[in-house]
Amino acid sequence: MNKYNPPRMNPSSLRSRFATRFLRTLSKINAQKPTSSSSPTEIFRRYRRIKAAADKSMAYSVRSRRTWSRAMLWKLRTRPCGRRSVKTSTIIKSREARKTRHEKQNKNTTTTTTTTTGEDGVVFGVEADELRELVPGGEAMDLYNLLDETAHYIKCLTTQVQVMKKIADFYSP
Amino acid sequence: MASENDDMGLEMSSITMLNKYSNISESDPFFSSGWDPIVSQSESLGGSSMASHYHLVMENQGISGTSHVSQYQSNPSFVELVPKLTGFDGGNLSQIPGPFSLPQCNQIANSNERGSKNSLRSLDEHRISETLVGTSPNGKIRKRSPESDSPLRSCKNGDEEPGMDLSSEGCDGPREQAGKKPKTEQNSGANSRGKQAAKQDKDSSQSGEAPKENYIHVRARRGQATNSHSLAERLRREKISERMRLLQELVPGCNKITGKAVMLDEIINYVQSLQQQVEFLSMKLATVNPELNLDLDRILSKDILHPQSAAVLGFGPGTNPSGSHTFSPSTFTGTISGFPNTNPGFPPLPQTVLENEVQNLFQMGFYPGSTMDGFGLDGIH
Repeated sequence: MNKYNPPRMNPSSLRSRFATRFLRTLSKINAQKPTSSSSPTEIFRRYRRIKAAADKSMAYSVRSRRTWSRAMLWKLRTRPCGRRSVKTSTIIKSREARKTRHEKQNKNTTTTTTTTTGEDGVVFGVEADELRELVPGGEAMDLYNLLDETAHYIKCLTTQVQVMKKIADFYSP
Repeated sequence: MASENDDMGLEMSSITMLNKYSNISESDPFFSSGWDPIVSQSESLGGSSMASHYHLVMENQGISGTSHVSQYQSNPSFVELVPKLTGFDGGNLSQIPGPFSLPQCNQIANSNERGSKNSLRSLDEHRISETLVGTSPNGKIRKRSPESDSPLRSCKNGDEEPGMDLSSEGCDGPREQAGKKPKTEQNSGANSRGKQAAKQDKDSSQSGEAPKENYIHVRARRGQATNSHSLAERLRREKISERMRLLQELVPGCNKITGKAVMLDEIINYVQSLQQQVEFLSMKLATVNPELNLDLDRILSKDILHPQSAAVLGFGPGTNPSGSHTFSPSTFTGTISGFPNTNPGFPPLPQTVLENEVQNLFQMGFYPGSTMDGFGLDGIH
């Protein structure tokens, strides 16, 4: 048998860990699916579970090395089963609020001659809160650690998106 | 008062050390004689002459300053000294708003004067100690006198060496322990955060002679507050800006953006978009009915793990009621060509997978037979 070994990725990389875990959970979820899976509620329920599975897989792949993963795991464990997410609306609201706040800040900063540090403190205070909402576990972090966590979270999110995209593409080319 | 006596005792010893290190005889008489004019000067807030004298002394004791720094670094009494002194002025200074300017410095100086006068009167016993204690507020005053004379707005702490050394030790002790980076830090102009307004105003109002003198010990750059808090803040800010730069590389399309606010907005948008993408993809996966079993998952994981893989597994959802007719022969034929080698035991599979995946199939006992019936060929529509 010819051994053709294409270049492998690091088997313990974040991507592989997440992929294996997520696929395992996905297959579990799919195995449980009833035959009548076309009802919207059923699909929605599965969507929720899949999304939770994705988050959980990602958090488990990171283990407890990161604050956001720990927070996410904790959240997933204590999450009530029927919680509806109003994420999109909150996102839109937060965007608009941020814009208005930003305009106000711009006005303030132009009028005052305060130093950049003061300005930074003010600006960071506004956006940092939003970032804290986005990054799990970010509420209790100072700005520096928050940015650190955000960087890692972005990296993990991109991995997650890539893997899931590949899976989805696999299902439907 | 007992604590003050202790402080004074320590200060006395420090004064003797000062003299010992400096080896300048005139420093002693300077100190002894100089403080009286300083006291009088404090009332008038004139005295550029005093400042010049002070400069001389400072230059002489430039190097000794460092040793003093090292000496006094761990001395907690100096730390106590500073708050005590600032206590005199704190009440006045805290009322001063954040952005300081020259007239404000004068105000501060005036308020400092009053405080220092009180402090001086309270320490009549030892002249040295009195001068010593007097140096700190007086030093501050004298800092401001050149400050008031010169149009310089930026302030530096290291102007008046011996006396200011002590008070600055108090400030600098924790600061230097925190990190001796001030010289390397950027000159960001007047820095005052709201909470440090009082101390910063005091420190930052003393400025300008820094570039004239070459001191070895680490000091804040010109135009920067030398408060321990402010230096720690500056350090923190630089760390934050470094993190922002990292994030800028992570977030696509943020290279042209300068400014932390916009950058943060972009980051927030990007994180939100990523999260939405995850949601969308999970919804997509929920709608697509899965036919895979665990073995396939492993294949899939290999597939996913190879970013260069363009192979699409064509397992047919034969029993899928939602009918995702996802496979077409065209795709198979297109991808079959990419099949490097086949296991001799297998018929050419309609799906194209990478070689190792097929081997995995083989290894997992994935023989054509019962299991294979559910896949591939049946699924081709």
